[in-house]
Amino acid sequence: MNAITAEKMVLAFIGCVTFLIVALLFSILAIMFIKGLPAMHGGFLFDESRDFGRAGGIFYQSAGTLILMGVTVLWSLPVALGSVLFQTEYLESGKFKTFLTQLTYILNATPTILFGLVGYLFFGVYLEAGVSWVTGSLILAVMILPTLQVSIREAVEALPEKYREAGMALGLSRPAQIWRIILPQSFYGMVTGVLLGLARAAGETAAIMFTATTFSGIRFPQSFSDPVPTLQTHILVLAQEAANPESIAQAWGAGLVLLGLVFLLTLAAWAFRTRMVMESEL
Amino acid sequence: MIQFKNFSAAFGERKILQELTFSLPANSITSIIGASGSGKTTLLRVLCRMNDRIENFRIEGSVFVDGMDVYRPGTDVYALRRKVGMIFQKPCVFPKNIIDNVIFGVRKKISKKDYPDVAEKVLREVFLWEEVKDRLGEKATTLSQGQQQRLTLARTLAVGPEVLLMDEPTSSLDPKSTAAIEKLVQSLKNRHTILWVTHQHDQAQSIADQVLVIEKGQVLPLSVPIVRPAKPASFTSVLQNVQGYPE
Repeated sequence: MNAITAEKMVLAFIGCVTFLIVALLFSILAIMFIKGLPAMHGGFLFDESRDFGRAGGIFYQSAGTLILMGVTVLWSLPVALGSVLFQTEYLESGKFKTFLTQLTYILNATPTILFGLVGYLFFGVYLEAGVSWVTGSLILAVMILPTLQVSIREAVEALPEKYREAGMALGLSRPAQIWRIILPQSFYGMVTGVLLGLARAAGETAAIMFTATTFSGIRFPQSFSDPVPTLQTHILVLAQEAANPESIAQAWGAGLVLLGLVFLLTLAAWAFRTRMVMESEL
Repeated sequence: MIQFKNFSAAFGERKILQELTFSLPANSITSIIGASGSGKTTLLRVLCRMNDRIENFRIEGSVFVDGMDVYRPGTDVYALRRKVGMIFQKPCVFPKNIIDNVIFGVRKKISKKDYPDVAEKVLREVFLWEEVKDRLGEKATTLSQGQQQRLTLARTLAVGPEVLLMDEPTSSLDPKSTAAIEKLVQSLKNRHTILWVTHQHDQAQSIADQVLVIEKGQVLPLSVPIVRPAKPASFTSVLQNVQGYPE
């Protein structure tokens, strides 16, 4: 076999694999749309669910998901940002930097059910937060921490050294450099990280299923120890009622909304990332 | 003003500067010439401790700026850098407007109402005022390379340094901008001590009071006195076309 034939075969293989992945993605999207759209009646997004989820909408589940995700970011962002700035601006040992980076990747690869288990034992039992939105958001915060950390670190490290040196040469202190050069210049990277982290949190079910969420009985949490209804739990519980076509239709509808949410977050992250690349080329 | 005493610098095992001992007078221009990798830039960077972020950078001996031991433990490195400003090979302006760039280093030290006055003063000092006075709100990245380099110099001057370190500041500029910077540096000599790294021997001769030759991290005997041309004719004709220069 000569080199040109081999190249054509590799190209054909890569083309087939790419086509398969794209086809798979579009199939999932198509199924979600076909199955989910019938549930999208006028009040689906803004009505309360009724009859154990078989009728009505998903307002409180959507709100609960957004509450959980928003609080998750509030916990996670300062920690991720702090660790990135420590790693990139203060830590001088190259070996320790590499160690921290590897640790982040290991954390990223940890099965999410372990986050749920360990998180519940620590936050829920040891810190007595119980099954609550606080416990769930803390678990999700730890879970999305590596995603946020990696995205923010990439943005900060991509900042051209000349900006740091220009700041140094003007006698700016390190905190001033961080505040006035590094954070503004890395802004789009940070937003990208947050959106990707949110997308991951939005898609997560296992870790919060038994630690933070409830299917019924709660609209908005009234205290720190209340659980919260979420789209993920709503879908899972309804999907278990396979014999009931109304429940299944509602589950598909909620699934489509969740998918749309994740899709929007990813799209926004992509847009911000593009902006970040353009800014860095100035 | 600037004094090196048995000063050596190295990146890990690789020695860059070796046992340097010499002094440079205040309010003078010193050109530093030498081959690539001879240690010119490192010599400048140690004066404002720009290599502090580099993990394996090591020094021995002492270097003094106006009596201040640059590497003594406890030295206020931020105050040192305000005293010893540095201009880089390629101008680095922040993606902000012109006036924000100019006052970047003093923003927290002066009141907001003083921003325009400070900006005008230093922009006039670098002969850039006439060219940008009507577009101070525009992004600094819209300026030409030569204008950007003068802008970075204005930004540095706003901080009020006594020493100016210039690392091949004209290497990426056209002849007109180069002449502008050279003329500018001459005008700054009375108030600043200037070290200018260059690869061009004729440039070194024409602008400097003394020339320092560095080879393999060591200073060769100074080539003084300098025979300076009475008026560099090639530059004069160029300068007449540069806007904003005093007659």
